[in-house]
Amino acid sequence: MNKKKIYTNWFLVPAVAIFVIFFIVPMVTSLFFSLTVWDLQTFTFCGFDNYVTFFGERSLNISVVNTLIYAVLTSGLKVIFAFFIALFLTSKIKTKTFIRSLVFFPNLVSAVAVGIIWKALMHPSKGLINTLLAVIGIDGPNWLGDTSIALFSVIFVDVWKGVSISTVIFIAGITSIDSSYYEAASIDGATRWQTIRHIVMPLVRSSTNTIITLSLIGGLRCFDLIWAMTKGGPGFATDVLASVVYKQYAAGFYGLSTAGNVIMFALIAIIAFPLTKFLNSREVYN
Amino acid sequence: MKRKLVSVLLCAAMVGATLAGATTVFAEEEAATEEAAAEETTDEAAAEEEAAEETTEEAAEEEASDEGGEKEWEYKEAELTFLIDPDTPSQGYQAVFDLCEEKTGIHIETEIRASGGEGDNIVKTRLASGDMADLCGYNSGAKLGELNPEENFIDISGEEWASRLNDMWRQAANGGNEGAIYGIPYASTMSSAILYNKDIYEEYGLEVPHTWDDFLANCQTLQDAGEVAMIGSIGDSWTIQCTYLGDHYNVLAENPNFAEEFEAGTAKYATTPAGVESFQKLADLQPFFNEDYTATTYADACDMLVNGDGAHYVILTQALSSIYDLYGDDVNKIGLFGIPGNDPENHGLTVWTPTGIYGNAKSDKKEDILRFMEFYTSDEALDAFTEAQKPDGPYCIEGYELPEDAYDAAKDAQAYFDEGKISLALEFQTSVKGTNCEYICSEVATGQTTAEEAAAAYDDDCKKQATQLGLDWE
Repeated sequence: MNKKKIYTNWFLVPAVAIFVIFFIVPMVTSLFFSLTVWDLQTFTFCGFDNYVTFFGERSLNISVVNTLIYAVLTSGLKVIFAFFIALFLTSKIKTKTFIRSLVFFPNLVSAVAVGIIWKALMHPSKGLINTLLAVIGIDGPNWLGDTSIALFSVIFVDVWKGVSISTVIFIAGITSIDSSYYEAASIDGATRWQTIRHIVMPLVRSSTNTIITLSLIGGLRCFDLIWAMTKGGPGFATDVLASVVYKQYAAGFYGLSTAGNVIMFALIAIIAFPLTKFLNSREVYN
Repeated sequence: MKRKLVSVLLCAAMVGATLAGATTVFAEEEAATEEAAAEETTDEAAAEEEAAEETTEEAAEEEASDEGGEKEWEYKEAELTFLIDPDTPSQGYQAVFDLCEEKTGIHIETEIRASGGEGDNIVKTRLASGDMADLCGYNSGAKLGELNPEENFIDISGEEWASRLNDMWRQAANGGNEGAIYGIPYASTMSSAILYNKDIYEEYGLEVPHTWDDFLANCQTLQDAGEVAMIGSIGDSWTIQCTYLGDHYNVLAENPNFAEEFEAGTAKYATTPAGVESFQKLADLQPFFNEDYTATTYADACDMLVNGDGAHYVILTQALSSIYDLYGDDVNKIGLFGIPGNDPENHGLTVWTPTGIYGNAKSDKKEDILRFMEFYTSDEALDAFTEAQKPDGPYCIEGYELPEDAYDAAKDAQAYFDEGKISLALEFQTSVKGTNCEYICSEVATGQTTAEEAAAAYDDDCKKQATQLGLDWE
């Protein structure tokens, strides 16, 4: 039986037009311009030269590795820390509400402000952290200047700032678990750890998946914090894809920076889609 | 499951939107600049006519001023905006602006932007979006070429008063187009050299070194005595490239045609011994830097130098004005010598032409901009400038000399000028300048790479610029 259509297809036109003009067309043009040497006025087609340069030059391809380290570590650490903070904040403690808002505070400050503050705190000789370490007799490292730890210092700050959102998602997940599961477990004589391992963890998996996906994509695109703290330095030690793209754009290499954007887009798509599929396949339904 | 899928799609859409945003801006810019270019052509024609008319008038006026008495300026109220970075000392230009308002009725509103790479991005974005101030303060030399000056800035080479600008400036402000002049010098020339604390030198009985080895020996003596021999300020990463840039005199000493060959793609840093040495010097300095040099800023470094917390600082001589602002006559505790090479008989100085003030070609106040520029380059304005802000070196205006109460370090620089042991920095001789220079230099100075690797990385970096400029480098 053919249901009579009430609305004409023309109603789709405004939405489709906006989508095509603002999303599809720019995406296709950016794909095209990534294959050119472009100065915004004229362009010369150069095939895959931009991509070859991007992956061939150490100052550029170091960013791909750094981006992956950054995204995986921030996302992993956020999940672990947020889970335990959320467990703590959903237990029967008195100052729950106060601590909850305390945990959320870092997220209310803009990333650039957070970056500037931590940069000052991590100053090798005048920073608060190393001054305090000196009091107890420890010679603190050069947090942002030592190339072997600079990236990890930024990752730490990103986790500090971003853990609150993950915590909130976990708190929502944990409080929505039906209390009958806990009752059943306690009747069976489950220990506290067994309850966490076999009830809480499986039942908050949808929250875990959301957090992993969101923070991984956030990590892959991260720019503001890195730029505020190190500007990719010293040298190129903390450069990520977004900061390299920004630098190439600032240098006037529009074709090359567009290629960097396309690489970033591809990287996020390649990682995010299979990951979500995998995570969803493991989800448990209430 | 469905909800997950939707959220993933949303994420994809967000990424898409980021890309989309950027590309849309580009597309708009393209259209805007084309329009402006068309307008400009007609504007220019009109301006040329005007200039021709003015020439005769001015010639008459000049004669009058030679006979004594100051030049009479046309008084017409107007307001211009001026975009500049905060590291450029403001007293000099502000004094001229004030005088300019009094004499010509043009009020200049100054707007401060970020410095370094971030500032470059702001300038480029504002030019591309048609949002540039009437007057744009920006580097002369190769970096000017990156701004598309033939599209964006007013060519003043046809103006009568522009004949006072000397050859050094003409070369630096042509943006790669022989014969064009896109702006006026904001101040005197400067150089990238080693500034040293004379008190410390006196205390340890040190002599100004004329070879690099002697210089390192001085550093060693100071370090052994517990002093900070070398001030590094990678906290503002642009400062670290001054050692490499200031060493250009020594590269030219080995190969006088280096700049031309470099632009042609035949000479490379990695295969030029003096070129590798330029980067090696940064590596040599690493053990002598202050402990927190990766976080020290330009302002911190100036404080350290004048207070004797560090003996040497390789920096542009604009630092003298920055120090004078805060410490007054203590600036004369600071001396200057060029970055030495291997030949004690050929110890020279690499010279910079100053920041330029460029007129926005898309501004509708072109006449006022030209009136302002003529005033800014007059003796009257230079006197006002010099009184408010002492010059960091000789001026680019013909027939105007360094005043007697100049900084000691500027006088040290004058000696190199008098002996003719000066050369323009590479960025004025070729439009190929690696845009990652400061980061590559930071890498060497923090011991992440060797001089050879840095030289090779710099060659690669320049190749990108050459490709963008359409030069054939293979």
